[in-house]
Amino acid sequence: MSRTLRTAVVAALWATTVLLLGQSSAKSPRAQGLPALGTRLAPFPRGAMKSVADQACLNCHSADIVRQQRLNEKQWTASVNKMIGWGASVPEGKKDPLVAYLVEHFGPDNDRFQPVVTGPAKSR
Amino acid sequence: MSRRGFLFAAAGAAAAISLPGSRRRLLQMNGYPIDAETPLDALTTYITPNDLFFVRHHWNPVFPDPKRWMLTVDGEVESALRLSLADLKRMPKSSATCVLQCAGNGRALHRPIVPGVQWRYGAVGNARWTGVRVRDVLEKAGLKGSARHLHTFGTDAPPLKVPPFHRSVELEKIREDGLIAYEMNGAPLPALHGAPARLIVPGWAGDHWMKWLERLSVRAEPQKGFYMDVAYRFPKKAGDPGVAFKPEEMDPVTELFVKSNITEAPARARAGSPITVSGFAFSGVPDIAKVEVSDDGGASWREAELGSDHDPYAWRLWSFRYEPKEAGKVTLSARATDSRGGVQPKEAVWNQSGYLYNAWHSVEIEVAA
Repeated sequence: MSRTLRTAVVAALWATTVLLLGQSSAKSPRAQGLPALGTRLAPFPRGAMKSVADQACLNCHSADIVRQQRLNEKQWTASVNKMIGWGASVPEGKKDPLVAYLVEHFGPDNDRFQPVVTGPAKSR
Repeated sequence: MSRRGFLFAAAGAAAAISLPGSRRRLLQMNGYPIDAETPLDALTTYITPNDLFFVRHHWNPVFPDPKRWMLTVDGEVESALRLSLADLKRMPKSSATCVLQCAGNGRALHRPIVPGVQWRYGAVGNARWTGVRVRDVLEKAGLKGSARHLHTFGTDAPPLKVPPFHRSVELEKIREDGLIAYEMNGAPLPALHGAPARLIVPGWAGDHWMKWLERLSVRAEPQKGFYMDVAYRFPKKAGDPGVAFKPEEMDPVTELFVKSNITEAPARARAGSPITVSGFAFSGVPDIAKVEVSDDGGASWREAELGSDHDPYAWRLWSFRYEPKEAGKVTLSARATDSRGGVQPKEAVWNQSGYLYNAWHSVEIEVAA
């Protein structure tokens, strides 16, 4: 899948989620008129578990907060369990593969994350 | 005023007027909810501009309409209140210039690594907050004898089954110097920072500074819930790094710890040519007594010069003139001491949530012959 197409699919998924949930707390920053500070919704890395991560995580927060973590298997398991308890939807049998995917990409040696340099905040 | 003092003041004043355009930026940690920190080289002024002030949201906020917004005051009071923004503005106005720091600022620097927003240095800023004293509002409502804690609620609501961000503050503290602020640095409080009104708790970590405030409820007991009983807790005493503390081994995060950061230092210098290193320092007590710099890993320290701008619980800018003696790499470390005698430690107290990191801040300088 081309990069552009992937981006479009992520955007469409996100827009659909927002429409389906229809809750103010689940609206995207843009839908709320929230100053976006040059928001970049960085996608999860490719892999069989990407769609599971998208479905489990992106209702509440962008992938950036996941991408900056540097956690071992025990810490990722605790984090995924916490999020499932808070309503994250992880299909039956997908929890362990999801943890493995997170450890693979965002394990203790993850040093790839860089914050997005953005302009001053525009705010009402 | 000494020549150096004059130069320092002049430099401070100039910086307050205009930060170079290249420094006017934020480092966004998360797309949504927004988390963004201020780069250290933009934290060189006594007052942090509103548009460069760090942003920390738990989830996408629900912004109240200031025209229809009402603040409810209820609980252990003689008469419950519903106050509009206009009602608040008719009450005596009060201001405080003080530091707001996220409890998790510096989390990324803890070892072993801990989960959460990986703030480094810039989830902190110093601003002038204006509004009404919490004390005045509570006196208007009339406290009952059983009143001990102020439960605080904002309009931001969590998604799915995430627990709500409900908090409480001891009345003793909030009656002393707490504010309900509707202005930040002379402008209406920005939406990103909790408009139309937020709580100001001088000297205490940001988790107490409820944004988009909508209700204050006076109670006999502290608030319960995830954000009181599990999150925002700090060990009663230091343990082994990497070994998680149980909730009962911790207390809620309250006062900030004494801390200084280096905001400006040249990456390169020449032996025999003086350089200037500068930064800010603050604490959970009102004043900073001194800031010191070491070039020998803490074996010896020399005092920095403190800036003239000064308010209780505000940060103090500082500046240090240093002359490298010989070629090679030199590491300069800064530590602050507060007016209660608290000294910034070499190592921060590790905790599994990564709160209140305050170890010495060091920079490396390459010295040429």
